[in-house]
Amino acid sequence: MHEFNWGLLIVVYLFLGGLSAGLFFAAGLANYLEVDGQPAYPRVAAMGALLAPWPVAIGSALLILDLGNWYRFYKLFTHFRWESPMSIGSYLLMMFTGVTFVYAYAWLPEAWRQQLFQKVPATWKQVHRLNVDLAPYRKVIAMVGFPFSIGVGIYTGVLLGAVSARPFWNTNLVAQMFLFSALSSGAAALLLAMVLDKRSPIQTHETKFLITLDIVFIVLELFIILPYLIHGQLSVLAVKQALWLILGGPYTVVFWVFFMGLGLLVPLGIEVSELAPSLLKGKAFHGDRRLALVASTLVLMGGFLLRYIFVYAGQVSSFHKMGMLH
Amino acid sequence: MAMKKKRYALVLDSRKCINCKACAVACKAENQVPVGNTRNWINEARQGEYPKLRIDFEPEQCHHCEHPSCARVCPTGATWMRKDGVVLVNYDDCIGCRYCMVACPYDARYFHEESGTVHKCTLCSHRVDKGDLPACVETCPSKVRVFGDLEDPTSRVHELLATRRYRVKEPQTGNGPQLYYLL
Repeated sequence: MHEFNWGLLIVVYLFLGGLSAGLFFAAGLANYLEVDGQPAYPRVAAMGALLAPWPVAIGSALLILDLGNWYRFYKLFTHFRWESPMSIGSYLLMMFTGVTFVYAYAWLPEAWRQQLFQKVPATWKQVHRLNVDLAPYRKVIAMVGFPFSIGVGIYTGVLLGAVSARPFWNTNLVAQMFLFSALSSGAAALLLAMVLDKRSPIQTHETKFLITLDIVFIVLELFIILPYLIHGQLSVLAVKQALWLILGGPYTVVFWVFFMGLGLLVPLGIEVSELAPSLLKGKAFHGDRRLALVASTLVLMGGFLLRYIFVYAGQVSSFHKMGMLH
Repeated sequence: MAMKKKRYALVLDSRKCINCKACAVACKAENQVPVGNTRNWINEARQGEYPKLRIDFEPEQCHHCEHPSCARVCPTGATWMRKDGVVLVNYDDCIGCRYCMVACPYDARYFHEESGTVHKCTLCSHRVDKGDLPACVETCPSKVRVFGDLEDPTSRVHELLATRRYRVKEPQTGNGPQLYYLL
């Protein structure tokens, strides 16, 4: 039996890292959109900005805990190896986490910021100099963060895709698949958070924006997954045998039923059926709260499962063991 | 005086292998390999049905590749290649991320629980540097294993590869494996 070197912690990290990338991207995008010179989705932008740092911070902590020697993680930053996706990724992740925290700070409501600094002793003058309003720089910070968020979204896929020994991963499509899945998860998480926020109920134009965003990303994701499957089938034997893992092998049900079905096509169906009447027939968009809740939860589950399937199935796939699996 | 370039490799005449596993035991004793882990092992391949039956044994370990994917993906450079081709892990720099284990096409590495680092065959470099043979080579009773320097035209490995047909495992991964199996 094949031993798994990378387990659930890595799956969770890949998911959380992508989630933050998606949250930041959606929030930054919302920050840029305007209607008649006024910000169109300020609450979406604020919610996304305040949520974005936490998943990646937790994910990075899990990543460090997963190391054989967690306290040696600093060695990642005393070396730079451009050939190692993990080395590039560590720097990318650190920069991205930094930007998300600065961006969240720029969106922190004035009252919260003052409350925060009240807890800092008054004698710590240098710390109190940080008590500045970054609100005018929100767009600049978002622009700086976009490449990092896309980078983190792609990197989680490159980490796996760059491993030539695992035919299940070693395709140029995994990076894009993970990126679009991350962006879609981010939009869905934002939708879920706003629907659950009872103090300021989500407004229909916000629901519409997030649902539209999610539809775009899910469709893009589908456009990557289908070629991944088709091209894999037309590829060399090792890749074909690796794909057997999700086409008849042990990961078939979780891939087709839970990921493709419940995690991708069902939420896509819900969101399209919500949006289509307003898009095609000019009817008013209603945005049912419960449907949004279900769709966004399913998208998040799908995003998690995609990483689960790839991390586990990918480690089973190899050039020399596949023959024995059949 | 300029040192002559060296390239250590193993040539394996696996038809001579009787699956006694003395190589695995010698390695474990020499390198204090924990119970449950191995640095070298013997693959068994059965073919046919009784009475037309054959079984092949094929010893395997780290291939000390020319282009080791484990070294490429290592984020701290802990896995590195000596000038003589031996691929080693610098345990002080290994953070235990196990990326190398995932990236090795031969699954030749294991996670050393006690130290939290990744270990593998060192080609017994501590013995080789003293002029001795790797423990597995020295102990093999049926003389499956031949160790030597490919760059040395007078060596036995050089002669075997010049005169016998051989194969390497999974060359399509592009790793350039340096375990040569005689046909």
